[in-house]
Amino acid sequence: MTIKFPDIDYAAIAPLLIMFGVAALGVLVEAFVPKRARHLTQLVLALAGLVAALVVLVTQAETRVVTAGGAIAVDGPALFLQGSIIVLAIMAVLLIGERSLEKGGPFVAQAAITVGSEDDRRQAARADGATEVYPLATFAIFGMMLFVSANDLLTMFIALEVLSLPLYLMCALARRRRLVSQEAALKYFMLGAYASAFFLFGVALVYGFTASVQAAPGRMAGGVDFATIHAAATQSPANRALLFGGLAMIAIGLLFKAAAAPFHVWTPDVYQGAPTAVTGFMAACTKVAAFGALLRVLYVAFDGARWDFTPVLGAIAILTMLVGAVLSVTQTDLKRLLAYSSIANAGYLLVGVLAGVREGISSTMFYLVAYGFTVIAAFAVVTLVRDADGEATHLSRWAGLGRRSPVFAGVFTFILLAFAGIPLTSGFISKFAVFGAALDGGQTWLVIAGVITSMVLAFPYLRVVVMMWLSEPGESTPTIAVPGALTAAALVIGVAATLVLGVAPAPLLNLSDTAGQFIR
Amino acid sequence: MEQTIEYAHATGVLGSVWLLIAIPLVSSAVILLLGRRSAKFAHWLGTAAIGAGFVLTLIYFFSLRDQPNRAVERNLWEFISVGNLKVDIGLLFDPLSAVFCLLITGVGFLIHLYAVGYMAHDERRHTFFGYFNLFAAAMLLLVLGNNYVMLYLGWEGVGLASYLLISFWYTRPSAATAGKKAFLMNRVGDAGLVIAIFTMFAYLGSTNYADVFNGVGGLSSTVVLLMGLLLLLGATGKSGQFPLQAWLPDAMEGPTPVSALIHAATMVTAGVYLIARSNAIFSANEVLQTVVVSVGALTLLIGCIIGAAKDDIKRVLAWSTVSQIGYMFLGVGLGGGAYALAIIHLLAHGFFKANMFLGAGSVMHGMKDQVDIRRFGGLWKLMPWTFGTFTAGWLAIVGFPGFSGFFTKEPIIVAAFEREGWTAWLYGWAALLGAGLTAFYMTRLWVLTFLGPKRWTEDIEHPHESPPIMVGPLVLLAIGSAIAGGLMASPVAKWLEPPLPHEAGHPEPVMSHGVITTLSLVLTFAGIGLAYLLFRRGTALVEQPAGVVVTAARRNLYADAFNEIVFEKPGIFLTRALVFLDNRGIDGAVNGLAAAVGGGSGRLRRLQTGFVRSYAMSMMAGALVVVAAFVAVQMGWLS
Amino acid sequence: MTNIALAATVTTGEAVTFWILAPLALLGAIGMVVARNAVHSALWLVLTMLCLGVFYVVQAGPFIGMVQIIVYTGAIMMLFLFVLMLVGRDASDSLIETLRGQRVAAVLVGLGFAGLVGTLVARAVGDTTAVGLEAANQNGNVQGIAALLFTNYVFAFEATSALLITAAVGAMVLAHIHKPKSERLGQPETMRLRFRPGNYPAPKPGPGVYATSDSVATPGRLPDGTLTQRSVPEILPTRELSPRETAPKGTEK
Repeated sequence: MTIKFPDIDYAAIAPLLIMFGVAALGVLVEAFVPKRARHLTQLVLALAGLVAALVVLVTQAETRVVTAGGAIAVDGPALFLQGSIIVLAIMAVLLIGERSLEKGGPFVAQAAITVGSEDDRRQAARADGATEVYPLATFAIFGMMLFVSANDLLTMFIALEVLSLPLYLMCALARRRRLVSQEAALKYFMLGAYASAFFLFGVALVYGFTASVQAAPGRMAGGVDFATIHAAATQSPANRALLFGGLAMIAIGLLFKAAAAPFHVWTPDVYQGAPTAVTGFMAACTKVAAFGALLRVLYVAFDGARWDFTPVLGAIAILTMLVGAVLSVTQTDLKRLLAYSSIANAGYLLVGVLAGVREGISSTMFYLVAYGFTVIAAFAVVTLVRDADGEATHLSRWAGLGRRSPVFAGVFTFILLAFAGIPLTSGFISKFAVFGAALDGGQTWLVIAGVITSMVLAFPYLRVVVMMWLSEPGESTPTIAVPGALTAAALVIGVAATLVLGVAPAPLLNLSDTAGQFIR
Repeated sequence: MEQTIEYAHATGVLGSVWLLIAIPLVSSAVILLLGRRSAKFAHWLGTAAIGAGFVLTLIYFFSLRDQPNRAVERNLWEFISVGNLKVDIGLLFDPLSAVFCLLITGVGFLIHLYAVGYMAHDERRHTFFGYFNLFAAAMLLLVLGNNYVMLYLGWEGVGLASYLLISFWYTRPSAATAGKKAFLMNRVGDAGLVIAIFTMFAYLGSTNYADVFNGVGGLSSTVVLLMGLLLLLGATGKSGQFPLQAWLPDAMEGPTPVSALIHAATMVTAGVYLIARSNAIFSANEVLQTVVVSVGALTLLIGCIIGAAKDDIKRVLAWSTVSQIGYMFLGVGLGGGAYALAIIHLLAHGFFKANMFLGAGSVMHGMKDQVDIRRFGGLWKLMPWTFGTFTAGWLAIVGFPGFSGFFTKEPIIVAAFEREGWTAWLYGWAALLGAGLTAFYMTRLWVLTFLGPKRWTEDIEHPHESPPIMVGPLVLLAIGSAIAGGLMASPVAKWLEPPLPHEAGHPEPVMSHGVITTLSLVLTFAGIGLAYLLFRRGTALVEQPAGVVVTAARRNLYADAFNEIVFEKPGIFLTRALVFLDNRGIDGAVNGLAAAVGGGSGRLRRLQTGFVRSYAMSMMAGALVVVAAFVAVQMGWLS
Repeated sequence: MTNIALAATVTTGEAVTFWILAPLALLGAIGMVVARNAVHSALWLVLTMLCLGVFYVVQAGPFIGMVQIIVYTGAIMMLFLFVLMLVGRDASDSLIETLRGQRVAAVLVGLGFAGLVGTLVARAVGDTTAVGLEAANQNGNVQGIAALLFTNYVFAFEATSALLITAAVGAMVLAHIHKPKSERLGQPETMRLRFRPGNYPAPKPGPGVYATSDSVATPGRLPDGTLTQRSVPEILPTRELSPRETAPKGTEK
């Protein structure tokens, strides 16, 4: 028997290959570069790789192709989302690489040393953080980029694992409060594995459904690529319960990563426990990846079943918005508060996804980018507010910060206002865009829920603003560290983007609109 | 409107009209971001930014002459384009915005200069200039925008800057309270403006001035009336007009330059700008015009009456501002050629009121921040420059022949008499009466402050004249107040067409011009004379018991009390009633939303136990429901 | 359940195998969850995996069946057992459930989900004829899988290498403690340190064991009758013996 190796458009998947190569190189750097030079080498390598991938991506902007044996689709949304992931990842890597806030950076040097032992105290005070986070982060970025362009469910599953596994590991590497960090990592790992199992089960059911359907003459019958699923949705003789059972379970796997209720349970604990730079990375990039994949699954594979899945996913969207908004009201820790806000934002994103029209795709993509910039900036500010024990994230500690450092309190106020969706910030435009798209798509009920929950959600944000400005600083008010160049860069990029996307969003809106067309 | 409004595209020099906004904005950002580090140069940077703005405005102003229709539009970028909703960021430079720009940057520059001296001893002077420039940028945005959304952005921007500046000395409780009061009352007005803008979106699909004014003709009169009333609500909020006048005098808690620039010369006139700009809407409905005229007439009398009873130098001036803006509202309400008259009065008022506020600031500067006019007296010898310049302002505001008030207020009074039927008599006499009262209370202020015996508090030994940097602007403004009105009256009115409607052969007033002018002069001189006779020997040092009218005036004509009775008390009562019902055990039924959210949040929070096994179970339960729901929907079990 | 899918072509042998092994597989799965001892748990899991391997083979998937047995059962589970033995098979966490209603709810939800999916699949495939098996195995089972791996799923296959690298790096990061060379001591240095003046080269004396107290915090008694602090670990506070405890108990004779 002869096997014809599939054609691979290497130029189209070059950004993916670059990220993979950089990650592999990063592992080699760990092995061969002297310890002192590793941090700088890794940082430069990761940033250079990201920039290179971005440049190559831009040259491929017009590519629309399904390649690698139908496993990868390089189309408008894929390119847009890959670009967003790269840009946001650059910001996150800047935060990860920051070493001036704390000696040795935000990561533990040796995670295996027993927490609380003499060695641990010594390494917490002095040792340089582990540089393995860079290859891990680049692997995760590779996984995310593959995730949004995967064109069959199996590739998507592999990508899901490739992006998750490094994240689990990175969560465990906090320099301070290591037990909480390890606990967070373990929780994330176990629940993540659990959700992956659902996804895989769903894939099996869908495969059973596609049975003998051929997407196109000459292609193999049956399969889990999206074209076949799409064709099967109308042609397959099999019982449709398989299709919907499968879709439900695939959706569960994706909604877990997207932090939608009731699969959001891991979010607050993990966001709180993970090193803040990693939390920012997860909040921005993982969201892009998860919603990118969700868009592709729903718009490419299950396009024909829209009227069947919209009510259920709509209910999930409303539940997510409610849970996020209502629970954020009583949070007392800033990182948990941001976690619940990220859950609520997952709900708003779902509203965009469920719009069911082309604007739904483009507005969701715009939202993802806008939210990513803002949320990384928010976590960047969190890394700056510190006392002797590291970051001071309890809300009460932020009281009176406005008096102590008006500039940072002002920046954070701006970020919170953007989260609350005040005009002239990207938050307003992005909410406006998804709600507008949902109205166009006839999903008024989702928009009503969205507007109501955003009003509830404004309360916790404004409470933080009020605390920062109208309280007197107490003795326990922490200092605001002067950000190093890297954090400052990430912060400036994030805040500037939040402002620019709020004042002049048209270029990005247009770009997302041009890109908002999947190929099958 | 028969003819369609179109604006030429801005080219050449006018293409850079956005610089007017950008320069003060950048300067403000630099100052505020540098914080204390900018303390050495912030005041000069801020002043230079406004000065540059003034020079630019002059350049633009003169290059406007060659443009068709003397108006250019500059579209900068597309703001939102979602579905059929489109908002562009664009600027419009026409005679109306040009004169406002001149006023803002010109008077603004002088006031900035003055503030360099006035705020010299304040350790947060850099912050002050940061806010001041922010205000200028927002105000310029307000008058330069080519659509209502831009106007709204500027509107909120000046509101924010004004709020920050009123409570600039936030450690004083009264300043903080005044800031909040201004903020809240402005919100009421802003809500009106926002709804008006939404109405435009709904009925016209655009907020561009050109589109809106061209489209007004096609709307039903109810919609126009609604739109106009909402705009008017916004305008009354910002301009301190009835029924939202109470915040403006309290806003005097801010530093004096703030009172001069924001609460006299520029921001508070934004309401007048709004109505003048929207003249196409207001001219389209007669009921609407009558409402505006009534608001103006009522407010101008309220301002005069309360102003006559106040003893705080800045508050008297504040109430006179309320009253003078009442004149402007009267003007824009009368419509036709009176639009231009109102704008000219606004410009003249900008000069003489800024002049008087700065003069008051100069007096306070020399008198250890004393504001009570019963504690002044005899200052004319010790502060000759302040006295001279203040006198020019006083003569201008009372409408002394030859001074600017005379040229700008008289035509409005005449125009009021040009209305039809009995309303001419009503509004005309209100305006006349206002002129007499203005003469009375302004003379009272002037006499008590500068003439008569010394009534200073013990701690003041030797009041001194202010430094040159404060006197300089005063002199320039005094010259402006004296002559500006006369210079501007006729050419500017002509020049302000086309943005403002053309005066189409106005009807004869019910009395002849001569009679009206004579009457007004008689009333004015009567007011001056009466006040001089009453107060030339000073006045009692403490408040005396007085009749109903004076007491009412001292209490701001019970506007605060009215607010308290009509809004605050029922609000409190409602809250208490709800609490009562709630306590009586109608559990959950009347819970406020907030309580429900808070309680629900607290309860839901307990689900977040922190145990992986319980998380996994909730996911499993969720999965069970989701899969069941999918299958149910598909099998039609739900339908 | 796959068995049902093949109902049309099922042979007697297959049916017999299934009905014998299926309960065993289920038993293994349940046993794995309930067993208190970790080693037992692992062995129960081996049972289930073996059964599954046989199922695969019976269903014309010899390659996956063998991989299941050799790689999963043979290699991975045995590795797992080694680790359990190394860590100490007695190391066990408390199995007392502290969350009220957790177990009941978990069982109910689990049964509910199993019931739902079971019914769904049963209804969906009960009347379906499976197709495509012959086509897939046309050139042999292994060749068929190879063809898929090197055509449609070649990228996914390559991407799994990222997973493996990540796993290796992760294991290193979480488990490896790096001792710099300077901290490592050779045998001569160790000896020199041991016999350095001031260091006591012999093993330290054991704790004091008395009739009234045998706590490690109680100092031991040297042959000359004096108490020694050396027997008490540094991190513990020395326990003061009461006079009654130090007094001879009359047992010397």
